[in-house]
Amino acid sequence: MFKGLRSIFHALIRRRDFEDGMSEELRFHIEQYTGELVRSGMSREKAARQVRMELGSSMNIKADCRKAFGVHFFDEFRRQLSYAARLLRKTPAFTATALLTLAVCFGANLTIFAVIDSVLLRPLPFPQPDRLMTIFNSYPKAAVDRDGSSVTNYYERRGHIPAFASLSIYRYGSEIVGDAGATERDPTMRVSPEFFSTLGLGPVMGRTFTDEETTSQTDDVAILSNPFWRERYGADPDVIGRQIRVNSVPRTVIGVLPSSFRFLSSDAQLFLPLASSAEDRLPSRRHSGGNVIQMIARLKPTATLAQAQSEIDAQNAALEVDDPQAKMIADAGFRSLVVPLRADHVAAVRPTLLLLEAGVLVLLLIGAVNLVNLLLIRASGRVKEVAVRQALGAGWRYLVSEVVVETTSLTFAGGLLGLAVGAGGINLLRGLGADRLPLGSQIAFDARLALLGLGAAIVMGIVFALPVAWYQLRRNPGNALQSESRGGTSGHGAQVLRHSFIVSQIALALMLLTGAGLLGLSLQRVMAVSPGFQSDHVLTGQILLPWADYSETGRMKFVESLMEKIGDLPGVLSAGVVNNVPFSGNIGKSAATVAGHVRRLGESARGHYSYGVAGDYFRAMGFSLVAGRFLTGDDSRGSERVCIVDEDFARYYWPHGSAIGQRLWDGSEAGKDAEAFTIVGVVGGVKQAGLTQNEAQGAIYYPYMFRIGDSVFVAVRTGVPPESFALTLQKVVRQIDANVPVSDIRSMDTRIADSLVARRSPALLAGVFSGIALLLTCIGTYGVLSYAVTQRRREIGVRIALGAQSRQIRTQFLSLSLRLLTAGTVLGLIGAWQAGRTMRGLLFQVPPLDVGVLATAACVTAAVCLTACLVPAQRAAQISPMKALADE
Amino acid sequence: MDKTAELLPGTLDMLILKAVSLKPLHGYGVLQRIRQISKDAIEIPQGSLYPALYRLERRDLITAEWGQSENNRRAKYYTLTAAGRRRLREETAGWNRLASAIAAALKTTREEV
Repeated sequence: MFKGLRSIFHALIRRRDFEDGMSEELRFHIEQYTGELVRSGMSREKAARQVRMELGSSMNIKADCRKAFGVHFFDEFRRQLSYAARLLRKTPAFTATALLTLAVCFGANLTIFAVIDSVLLRPLPFPQPDRLMTIFNSYPKAAVDRDGSSVTNYYERRGHIPAFASLSIYRYGSEIVGDAGATERDPTMRVSPEFFSTLGLGPVMGRTFTDEETTSQTDDVAILSNPFWRERYGADPDVIGRQIRVNSVPRTVIGVLPSSFRFLSSDAQLFLPLASSAEDRLPSRRHSGGNVIQMIARLKPTATLAQAQSEIDAQNAALEVDDPQAKMIADAGFRSLVVPLRADHVAAVRPTLLLLEAGVLVLLLIGAVNLVNLLLIRASGRVKEVAVRQALGAGWRYLVSEVVVETTSLTFAGGLLGLAVGAGGINLLRGLGADRLPLGSQIAFDARLALLGLGAAIVMGIVFALPVAWYQLRRNPGNALQSESRGGTSGHGAQVLRHSFIVSQIALALMLLTGAGLLGLSLQRVMAVSPGFQSDHVLTGQILLPWADYSETGRMKFVESLMEKIGDLPGVLSAGVVNNVPFSGNIGKSAATVAGHVRRLGESARGHYSYGVAGDYFRAMGFSLVAGRFLTGDDSRGSERVCIVDEDFARYYWPHGSAIGQRLWDGSEAGKDAEAFTIVGVVGGVKQAGLTQNEAQGAIYYPYMFRIGDSVFVAVRTGVPPESFALTLQKVVRQIDANVPVSDIRSMDTRIADSLVARRSPALLAGVFSGIALLLTCIGTYGVLSYAVTQRRREIGVRIALGAQSRQIRTQFLSLSLRLLTAGTVLGLIGAWQAGRTMRGLLFQVPPLDVGVLATAACVTAAVCLTACLVPAQRAAQISPMKALADE
Repeated sequence: MDKTAELLPGTLDMLILKAVSLKPLHGYGVLQRIRQISKDAIEIPQGSLYPALYRLERRDLITAEWGQSENNRRAKYYTLTAAGRRRLREETAGWNRLASAIAAALKTTREEV
């Protein structure tokens, strides 16, 4: 069988060889036979005649041979293909419309599907990736839904949760890598020793970390990512054992990861041990996660997620028995949740992507309906021709395959164009921020996607052929010849089908338009939200200070000299430093204890945004002062324990009194009297997490020296456009220390705009989709209406001849389109209402059923459809009876 | 009555397989061989010979290869494949069963009924 197929295949590619062989074989036969007859005494002419008589026509033999060998199907296919091409060329307007529709619909679908594939579908590049879980602490009643895990959690859990084969922690970071003078800031990950075995993919060269390498004194080792090894070490095979400086401290390279290693969306170049001290591992630090350290685990092959969750719950309950803070933790609704790693990583973007996928599928549906309608109209012009051919003996099988070949070659060509549109669309999406999605950097237009697209195109072609073939062959040729003769009206069934297609197109387009409108309005409402400070003319940048070179006092000195140098520059209005700037993406919160505050029943400690500020931070950012005063440079230099809170904080703790003069401690417990901070000012609330952040979390601003961290953000208010100040800022920092780079330099306006990309891009895409949908609906309505007019040309001519006014004719066609439009709008509004409900979670201060949006969308759809109907209706009204009747 | 027998439907393929089973043959050779082994009793309609050969080749019962003919001409030679040999055996057995059954039926006399 297989060999047989192969020989057909050979015959097809070497078609000429097949034909030549056949001819030669027959010629040989004829010569042999003639020779034999001549030898037996026959004259040459007589022999030749005898051979021809016995053999028959060699053309017939060849045709029989081709059929016997199975290649005639392909000949037939070729014939039908060229017939289809001829037909399509004959109607360039139809063909161009169809190809464009298909190209746009396929392209849009491939583009969105590429994103869905990369972000939601493709498994993580590890063995049995669905066994990988993440575990994080949650304190929902303290408004901290996600707090990562602590080092203590890790040491308490590893080896003690039977459902897990392996468990590990990690934290993202970035370090200054390289020797003095040639440093670079690279993304890194600090991981516990089992990190690689948990994932099931470890170094290709060297080894992983050991337990001995998890203390700060012994963690001087590093594992390189494959690209880092190639770029920095030229893929040196002897790299193991060499030294690399990280934050000015030498470390020994002990391993190189495979090129396929990629942990979620991280592009970490270096992997370092996650070192901790004995204090870090104490039970009292169990709840100190702060969403910095994350935990992953691999389920045993026999274990289930539910089992792991109940084991974690049981262990937490047992451990909390001895915890002095047990009550507070319980009040906060503490729980450690086990969640599949991949799903958790993309959970935030999943609804938006699914919404876009739904939108793009609706677009495809509209395009498909449109094309079927146009194909049906086209087929109705050929019913008579097909009937004649049927009457002359063409088999229905042949006629159906002819239709299939025609529609499929159309969709296939459209699919090819769609591939080009899709490839362009993916590039466009990158510009709209798709590669910043989780797992988004893997979005690519690959062969798999192309095959999928072309496969879908072929399936679509076959599906399109069904109604067309049904329409052409549904009755016997005799009837067809009579009923669809020119001048008659079209069959009722076909007309209903065409009209219902128009109605569904209008409904779907209206749904898409409403969805886009809701997203757009939601975006507008978000953009109208004030961030709580004056975001214009502020440049910010992050500076990472290595602990090896900068002790706490060193950091203070660095900040001081930075403030001094920047303050002297022309164009600078004010400048300040903070350890976490709003819209930085870091939304870690920490606890504070207010003196004299008695927790109400069931009230837990609250997480607040806590900042350390130096310089003239508040004025640089343009905060509003509600009461008291700002912290200034003097406060950061002095050692007086003062702080500032925001109005949310003040309102929560002192709803009726003043916050000024009140005292609080940094941490979840009241400390010594001397360690309390006195509130000296109240500022306006600031959106730390993004403009849509709606919980009034409260914020505390301490002098920088009391809250020194790994890195600082510098904020500069300038008189000039802030971006133009970026180079100066870098130069100033380099003057203080040439080895400390400034990264993530962006104006506050840019930070805010960037934070909206997750809303702006979907709204923009939905807008584009609904624009295309409207255009397609317009084409579809126009096509059907003008066909109806052409069909009834004679009838209209007769009526006008009998005295009908052209106004009446026009009204008749317009009322037909109004009926279709009304039906479509009603269905569309129902659909839009349902769609609005499913996308409720994505909307910001917009109800799922927004009357304004619905009304606007309905009006736009109506306007577009009526415009599309006006031209054919007008043409109908202007039909001249003489000409219409003479044409027959 | 004519001395050549009418070819029963379905028997052409069997005869071709038989002819080719003895020795690789070109198309004309198949014709001659069948004539020879049937002692001129069976005359193949020449127009059906080549479609039959192509059909058998496609079904993988015979394979074709170009070679030199007796008079040094290029000719396409057909050889029986393993599958073809099996098929020939089956068809021969089937034919023999049918033939003896028909012969027995035709020999039946009035007394035996």
